Amino acid sequence: MIEEKKTPNPSSHKLQRLFIPCFKMVFSTWTYIIFAVATTVTFWIVSSIFDQLLFFYPIVIFYLPDDALVGFILVNITAIILGIVVSMNIYVFRHTKTKINIASFFSGSSLSVISSTCASCSSLGFFLISTLGAAGVTASSFVSNYQTPLRLLSIALLIWAYYSISSKITKSCIMNSSNSSK
Amino acid sequence: MLIRLWYRKELSTLFIISIAFLTLTSVVNSRYYFNTTSAQKSDEQIKNLSLQNLIKNGSPFLGNTSAPITIIDFSDFQCYLCNRYVKNTEPIINQTYVQTGKVALVFKHLPNRGFDSMGAALAAQCMNDQEKFWQFHKLLYANQKPIDSGWVSKENLKKFALQIPGLDIKQFDSCFDSEKYKNFVQKDIDLGLSFGFKETPSFIIENSDGSNPEFLAGALPFPSFKAVIEKKMSGS
Repeated sequence: MIEEKKTPNPSSHKLQRLFIPCFKMVFSTWTYIIFAVATTVTFWIVSSIFDQLLFFYPIVIFYLPDDALVGFILVNITAIILGIVVSMNIYVFRHTKTKINIASFFSGSSLSVISSTCASCSSLGFFLISTLGAAGVTASSFVSNYQTPLRLLSIALLIWAYYSISSKITKSCIMNSSNSSK
Repeated sequence: MLIRLWYRKELSTLFIISIAFLTLTSVVNSRYYFNTTSAQKSDEQIKNLSLQNLIKNGSPFLGNTSAPITIIDFSDFQCYLCNRYVKNTEPIINQTYVQTGKVALVFKHLPNRGFDSMGAALAAQCMNDQEKFWQFHKLLYANQKPIDSGWVSKENLKKFALQIPGLDIKQFDSCFDSEKYKNFVQKDIDLGLSFGFKETPSFIIENSDGSNPEFLAGALPFPSFKAVIEKKMSGS
């Protein structure tokens, strides 16, 4: 019998080569695990407060009504990816000489945080209404009506931010290894 | 050079941790500040919020007029968090405290989530003339759709009114078309804003003479209300 050799899909192989070593490299150090966990937990708490799932007054209580289930799952995904991305950004900032592209950092991590957090922040809605009047009402209702798409957008942006920071780390590794081989 | 690098590394760590800590504490504190200090500031205004006064002024209410505790609910019919409260928390409050005569529920309008919110508030207040407010309240929240999607346009509000059994539709139309309660609703809004309510739903839980008010913000679950009500009933 002739055994068929399984050839990996080149594009998925490329992605594996890009994502997994970077992930292992960054999170082999406790500091970056702590950064990731701290960011995830902070974002999770802030989002849960804005989503009105977590209350500190009059008693500390977390509750998850049926209508909030989808949003809660998306927030959890966002929080985990955000923790990883922020930690990797800090890694790049501290360990490589390549300059961080501030624009991409803001458009990736920050925009995803804003879109996810503001998807449900009713306080911001009231702020918009009181400061911008009719335009604020429109903005507030847009943010309220499109919570789920905004959250999905934020996850997509974070995945893109993860891809971009991973390739940055890989490039710097290649540059470093090629410099050292000379 | 090494010291500089160390300093840079430590500084970045410190910076990230500080940002996270500040964000978290400011969010938590903003809510706590609202819940505690507003009560002290607004003591004078609260005197006008006795249950008898609220009923006399025409606010819709549910429960016994001699109930020792009053919950004043500031809500908007288009607000999805108000709907969450109406679906999950209000029925348990109603069953546990309102039906047993311990608490009276009073509704105040805070319609600023969208352009159509005012119309919904005016229609609901017109329903109160014929003692149909709570039926209409239930109907609107059960049919809630995205903000300003037209679900509470003038035409649709009239269609909703037709679904209320025993309603004198001519009387309702006349009240709604003439915007009879525009000033009334505006007074409710001004009252809510004077207490610093930034979101809907917001609540005042007080003794029915208007004393000892406690402010709550958000679509809180039943145990949060229970904690405040039980504390008030025990007299502390």
